[in-house]
Amino acid sequence: MDCQDAQEKLLESFDGALSPDDSRQLKSHLAACPNCVEFGELLKALDLQLKESIMAPRLSPGFRAALKARIDRQPRGLWTHWLPDVAYLAASAAAILWCVVLLPFPASAVLWIGALITAVSYSFQALLFSSLGEL
Amino acid sequence: MMEDEDVTGLLRSRRYDGAFGLLLDRYQEKVFRLAFSMLKEAGRAEEVTQDIFLKVWEALPSYDGRAAPSTWLYTIARNACLSAVRRESYRRTVPLEGCGERPGRETLSPRAEIKQLLERLPRVQREVITLFYLEDKSVQDVAQMLDLPQGTVKSHLHRARRALADMMRS
Repeated sequence: MDCQDAQEKLLESFDGALSPDDSRQLKSHLAACPNCVEFGELLKALDLQLKESIMAPRLSPGFRAALKARIDRQPRGLWTHWLPDVAYLAASAAAILWCVVLLPFPASAVLWIGALITAVSYSFQALLFSSLGEL
Repeated sequence: MMEDEDVTGLLRSRRYDGAFGLLLDRYQEKVFRLAFSMLKEAGRAEEVTQDIFLKVWEALPSYDGRAAPSTWLYTIARNACLSAVRRESYRRTVPLEGCGERPGRETLSPRAEIKQLLERLPRVQREVITLFYLEDKSVQDVAQMLDLPQGTVKSHLHRARRALADMMRS
């Protein structure tokens, strides 16, 4: 291992543990190279200074409350998210009413069958949507 | 297995409040630290973190599940931070008097000195090394937050350390 490799390994050692083989080779290089030992000491001092200087700040205790206040001021726009469902159910209701008017069967039977078909098809499309989302 | 599956499940069933609560619990501090590493000022970073989560709240219905929620969230966060950095750089005014003067090295504490050295690094190296120490020296977390390969993060860290070591020696 030459000095360039040794210094690369020294730099690497601050990101995570070196492999046993790299560690052994580095140790043997350092035993004979005061320049790389000095570079290693400098990196150690630098690491310590960086650790002490870069402190993780904390969010202020009022962060969540302030965010909630800002969210509450926003128009939620839920209508947009639910629009496909509302449109689906409204179209189903309109189709059932047409069937009640046009088909020569008792209205209550048409209503029940229409409601059942709507419920089954709605569940099926929800299931399909959920499965597609997992792909 | 994809991370944050519970969040994805809630989003799929359009339970946005629940999903948003989980995202806040898990990522508010990380997003704040990401903002801090880019903006360098805690107060400003907190404001931008609020903006980010407001954007996330508004965008939740359009989350399409192609990326993990954390990846999606960090993308929004990085873009918001970059916009904020650009705005700050336009707004910043340079005083004419004393322009370019630096306080004498002997007047600085070691902490102030290292901060001054960090300022002299290229932006990406400074952000990577700052985030590395903020994230408890996790290359994996830094890579995820900045959407960089781990090898690239390590290479920025090595360059930053070498440059800082050279500055300390000189």
